[in-house]
Amino acid sequence: MATVTATRPRGQGGLERILKSPTTARVLFPFVVLGVWYLIYYTLDSRIFPNPYEVVEFMWEEVTLTSGVRYSSVAENIYVQFGISLMRLTIGFFLALILGTIIGLAMGISKKVDAFFHDWVMGLLAMPALVYALFLGLALGFTNLGPIVAVVLAGAPFVIINIREGVRNTPKELIDMAHSYDVPQNKITRHVLIPSLMPFFFAAIRYAYAIGWKGLVITEVFASDRGMGWTIKFWYDANRAKGVIGYALFFIIFALALEKLVFDPLAERAFKWRPKIDAVEMAEGDFGGVQREGFLFIEDQEIDEGERMTSMEGDSRDG
Amino acid sequence: MAEIKVEGLSKEFGVGEDRVVALENVNMAVGGHVFVSIVGPSGCGKSTLLNILSGIETPSSGKVTITQDNHDAEPGYVFQAARLLPWRTVMDNLLFVQKDRSDATRARCQKYLEMVQLGDKVDKYPGELSGGMQQRVGIARAFSIEPDVLFMDEPFSHLDAITARSLRRELHEMWVQSKKTVLFVTHDVGEAVELSNRILVFAKGGKLEDDLQIDLPFPRDPAEDDVAVAKAHVLRKFEELDLIAS
Repeated sequence: MATVTATRPRGQGGLERILKSPTTARVLFPFVVLGVWYLIYYTLDSRIFPNPYEVVEFMWEEVTLTSGVRYSSVAENIYVQFGISLMRLTIGFFLALILGTIIGLAMGISKKVDAFFHDWVMGLLAMPALVYALFLGLALGFTNLGPIVAVVLAGAPFVIINIREGVRNTPKELIDMAHSYDVPQNKITRHVLIPSLMPFFFAAIRYAYAIGWKGLVITEVFASDRGMGWTIKFWYDANRAKGVIGYALFFIIFALALEKLVFDPLAERAFKWRPKIDAVEMAEGDFGGVQREGFLFIEDQEIDEGERMTSMEGDSRDG
Repeated sequence: MAEIKVEGLSKEFGVGEDRVVALENVNMAVGGHVFVSIVGPSGCGKSTLLNILSGIETPSSGKVTITQDNHDAEPGYVFQAARLLPWRTVMDNLLFVQKDRSDATRARCQKYLEMVQLGDKVDKYPGELSGGMQQRVGIARAFSIEPDVLFMDEPFSHLDAITARSLRRELHEMWVQSKKTVLFVTHDVGEAVELSNRILVFAKGGKLEDDLQIDLPFPRDPAEDDVAVAKAHVLRKFEELDLIAS
């Protein structure tokens, strides 16, 4: 007779659990970066590479406008420069979103439109931002238009690709279900098509924003006399590494703040239907397999989520 | 009274070498308060027939009419997987297929959710429910539009035996109360014998081979002798028609 012994897994103590938690990993990361930073600082010539304290001091002076630096070409502080860049980014971002959504929808719906745009979209995706930064500088001069167009060129291809994939991955099984119940097309669009596109749309927003920033900064370095990119170039020309690193950190702080304060709450709201493992209920006497595989568990993997959605209703059409 | 008439129905997929005949010259008539099961081996066109009847697919040739007292009948459909909108709550999934969202409609949806024992889960999302509960929502959705005829495509095939048995009993009760015409696709002969008045036997190539009457009183317990004998009788028919793979 076989004997089965149930052994309780070795209990994870509170400390062990804390050490293994994702929050600990997240908190640990900046300290590791700080350690590596000091290592490089003590290895390299300190005149080339500033220590963290110098950078933080520089950033504080910039934020409190106490650095005493008066730029030779423009007497504008970080808030003005940041405002200029943000204005350019916002306009370019929304243009990329509108343009990308229209073209992406058309490419997803029509094979002819897809064939028409495909190679050009791929070409834009592969093109280094430096190329159009230089070209826009030559073509448009040092105006607002160049950096705005750079954001559109950088962000739109990612919106196009994501929206196109979203349309291609619309859940056909749900649409068939709706048709079998004679649900009107406008209701299908509102309740099936648009919600199924949302993961792809969120992925498009995040990509367009991140890539748009990069395109903007490079263009401002080469083809602008204002903005955050130009300011980084200013500190580069002044041979002040703390200025370059400080402004890069401003970017990182802003990106993280936007992610946590805008994108995450929006995604939380849009995807509140995602099941949480501990919320899955089992009816009394119901041993039915929990169909979790079709739903969205992994944050920030919207493309995978959309792909999963197509297999959500995987009936075997064997009849 | 609902009536389903199928005349000379054929359906083919693909062309040339890829051509597959899913249904071939199917003729049948179903009407009244009956529970009709369609059984047959995989690939015999069972699901295709339901898809054509519900308007999801169009036939290659032939004619289908579904009427209720000489008017177009309204069908309900329960799918193999529940096919719920994951981003809508249980109640909203039922309201999605309704013509309005009035209080009376909500009350009707609530009534059918209570019939499938999910009256307290109206605000849950499908992902928060088990597979069996999701299928119950799918059944409640089909009944909630108070259809004239109900099509069911292997609705319990994804579920474990215990959950499926419990749902079969609930379905039988709902069929008795609602007096609907039900067309039920299954590959499980036992399930067909337990639930049906009639069993239509399909063979490979989409041919309707036999039409069997199951004259046993309801409710039927699969463990009872007469139900087991009826099941054996249907299986013998399968052997005669060479439908059981050796």
